Amino acid sequence: MQKSAVDKAAPHSGDPLVPSPDNCGDCGALEAGTCLARRTARLSDYRPGDKGSIVQVCGDPEFRLRLMEMGFVKGTEVKVIKFAPLTDPIELVIKGYHLTLRKSEAADVLMTNPEQAA
Amino acid sequence: MSEKITIALAGNPNAGKTTIFNAITGARQHVGNWPGVTVEKKEGSVRIGDYDVNVVDLPGTYSLTALSVEEIIARNFLLESGADVVIDVVDASNLERNLYLAVQLMEMGVKLVLALNMIDVARGRNIHINERSLSDLLGIPVVATNGKKGVGIQDLLDSALRVALTGEGGAGQQRVRYGTEMEEEIAKVEAVLSTARPDANSVSRRWFAMKLLEGDPEVAGLLEAAASTEKVFQQVEASRAHLVGVFGDPPEIVLADARYGFISGLVKRSVRMEASDRVYLSEKIDKVLTNRLLGPIILILVLYGVYAFTFQGSEWLVKAFESFFGWLGDAARAAIPEGLIQSLIVSGIIDGVGGVLGFVPLIAFMFFAIAILEDTGYMARIAFMLDRVLRGFGLHGASMLALLVAGGLAGGCAVPGIMATRTLREPKERLATILVIPLMNCGAKLPVYAMLIAAFFAGNKAGLMLLLTLISWVMVLTAGKIIRSTVLAGPSAPFVLELPPYRVPTLRGLLIHTWERTWMYIKKAGTVILAISVLIWACMTFPALPEEKAKEYEQKTATLTERFLAEPEVSGYFKSEKDINKFVEFRTKLREGRSDELRKESPAFFKLAEVLAAEGGAPSAKDKDPQVAAVAEMYDRYDKERESIEHEKQTAQLRHSIGGRLGMALEVVTRPLNFDWRTNVALVGGFAAKEVVVSTLGTAYSLGKVQTEEATGLSERLSQEPGWNKLTAFTLILFVMFYAPCFVTLVVMRKETGTWKWPAFATLYTTTLAYIVALVVHTAGSLLGLGLS
Repeated sequence: MQKSAVDKAAPHSGDPLVPSPDNCGDCGALEAGTCLARRTARLSDYRPGDKGSIVQVCGDPEFRLRLMEMGFVKGTEVKVIKFAPLTDPIELVIKGYHLTLRKSEAADVLMTNPEQAA
Repeated sequence: MSEKITIALAGNPNAGKTTIFNAITGARQHVGNWPGVTVEKKEGSVRIGDYDVNVVDLPGTYSLTALSVEEIIARNFLLESGADVVIDVVDASNLERNLYLAVQLMEMGVKLVLALNMIDVARGRNIHINERSLSDLLGIPVVATNGKKGVGIQDLLDSALRVALTGEGGAGQQRVRYGTEMEEEIAKVEAVLSTARPDANSVSRRWFAMKLLEGDPEVAGLLEAAASTEKVFQQVEASRAHLVGVFGDPPEIVLADARYGFISGLVKRSVRMEASDRVYLSEKIDKVLTNRLLGPIILILVLYGVYAFTFQGSEWLVKAFESFFGWLGDAARAAIPEGLIQSLIVSGIIDGVGGVLGFVPLIAFMFFAIAILEDTGYMARIAFMLDRVLRGFGLHGASMLALLVAGGLAGGCAVPGIMATRTLREPKERLATILVIPLMNCGAKLPVYAMLIAAFFAGNKAGLMLLLTLISWVMVLTAGKIIRSTVLAGPSAPFVLELPPYRVPTLRGLLIHTWERTWMYIKKAGTVILAISVLIWACMTFPALPEEKAKEYEQKTATLTERFLAEPEVSGYFKSEKDINKFVEFRTKLREGRSDELRKESPAFFKLAEVLAAEGGAPSAKDKDPQVAAVAEMYDRYDKERESIEHEKQTAQLRHSIGGRLGMALEVVTRPLNFDWRTNVALVGGFAAKEVVVSTLGTAYSLGKVQTEEATGLSERLSQEPGWNKLTAFTLILFVMFYAPCFVTLVVMRKETGTWKWPAFATLYTTTLAYIVALVVHTAGSLLGLGLS
């Protein structure tokens, strides 16, 4: 099977430290942290009440596939409802249903910058 | 067309698949396991017109990618065309994600009917689904249902039957298309496949091609078995490379995306949603139940409630079972002459059946409580709240429930505990939980602790029990951590867990659920448990004492009796041994309470018996006749001496049996722990059930069969025994806490893991652990001079 998606995506951009439109939204950029200042964030950085859309799911291929099958496809809106009593895992709403993810897993979901829901 | 039709039920977890299954089949269902795995397989039958319809409930899955056991089972069942028609139960209030599975089913080319379940909930949420349009777009029948109320079930069955008997409903496959680039590559792979496997029909060929492109290892494996597949794999590699070049992502990701694209098109055209920011009841409930402060408090109460319900709630039934089997044993003892047959029937079979059925109330009550947690949706919240705590030990949030039932609160039982792990879907976490469960302080270990504490730590009972609970928890978590980083190493499964809306369960659903699982225990575990119970009985009974040895004891008793009968005072009451036996019988009858009748029958015996009873403390002792009192005293002494000879004989018998010999052979190993053969044979007996340690110790110390609940005689005896001290007692407590699970636990473990490998491993590691802990504690204790006073 495919090697880690991160390995595959990293060589895309010339220098990962220089933000450029094409390395935002791919997993290499997420790992390098270059895009965080621009219009993307990790789902794990969302606070309860935040919502935004999925840019990309990263992580190992099996995990990516599992999440996509649960509806984590590009452009889908996600809203964080709350954290568990020990602040991890988190509860969120996607495609109209409630789901929980550990923070470590949510860190692999690249999102648009959060907006506070009314 | 044969008159037998198989319907498979597919669907996401929480889509109400089980309620539909129950609505279709009613009570005509049975639960087993899918071959080779531990996933439950439910089947039911129903007669529709001239057709015998067999309904197979596939495991609930979100997709058919081979990522979990459940998905592989469901997929293989469909691939082997085990079903004439598939009903996909979708949650109408959560349509998009539920349709993902439907689309995958269509890709497979199975004949499909869509059940839009919980349509009432969807309507209540202002989700309006145009069934007609959905059916037209998908090319399959779509039926709105409400499984709980039985709405639409007949309609659903009619559609399914129609689809099974005609070609209708298979049209779905043609409707799902994924864009030019992807379709071109699928077609290329299909083309090579048709030359490599001309036998496969075009329906399955498209699905095969897609799975190969997705890099599905299962399907690739299937193909490898067939000949001349080299070309196919070359084409697949080329196509994959091409698609990665075009999309920047591997085909499985692109396809997952494309399926949701297709679904979103469907939804746009056939679903109208009135946007609202209404907060639904379920969310309001969750605001309280998973609240940061209230949530954990409620969780503790709920967990305690489950525990109390399982053990205290079922107590009356357990007692009723116990007294029934106690009565049965007594009745058998009375009806069958003393000897080997009696011993086999009473100690082997009746105790064995009692052992099997004794767990039934516990299991039924626990499964009822668990069914409530599962059907309401609270189970997922338990996992949500506790994941952070248990993850660190390689376990799962939902492990907590199983651990508690198993003895996390002292007094549980490993058997229902292991069965409770069925709520865990993650295989590694589940197995790890099963393996650490025997280290918990189950109810059967408590009498052993109680007896030893009474003997050596009487002053600090509560403190010591608390310490033992803590030790057991520490060991469980440590063992979990170690097992998950060695034998079951590997990252924890992604915690992608749905939190379904809270629902009110139906009593019928709960009862069916409880009954199915309980019955499976009786059926599957029962026979094995009975067989092993007889085996252990044999091990403690055979070989019998050699004749000359047995004669020795008989001789001793005979001499004693002779001497007793020779006393001049006695002769007025007892002339021969016959009279003694009559008197014994007389006393038994008297205890059963028929005094008036008996007083008439033999006034002399009555008086004597009355005085003997008074020795125990009854008030009528004052006006006793001195002559009667003297005989009573002599009889009492005689009776006790005879009993002690009998106990000595039992001890000799036990020592002579396989179990006793094993106990003696083990002395080599257990000497550093200061356990002699008596302790060892008790531990061997404890393999049947831990509380047997107490009664076997009683026999080994010539006290006869000690009552487990009232072992004061044994406690006293041990506290005076030269080989025993506080340290030995504490070492034994720890050893009993950790050593080999009882065989009932092992049988259930075998049933739940599907192989004897894990019970064997559990026995080995727990006993090793017990030995090491006991050795360390005993050695350290001896060096420090602890507990020797």
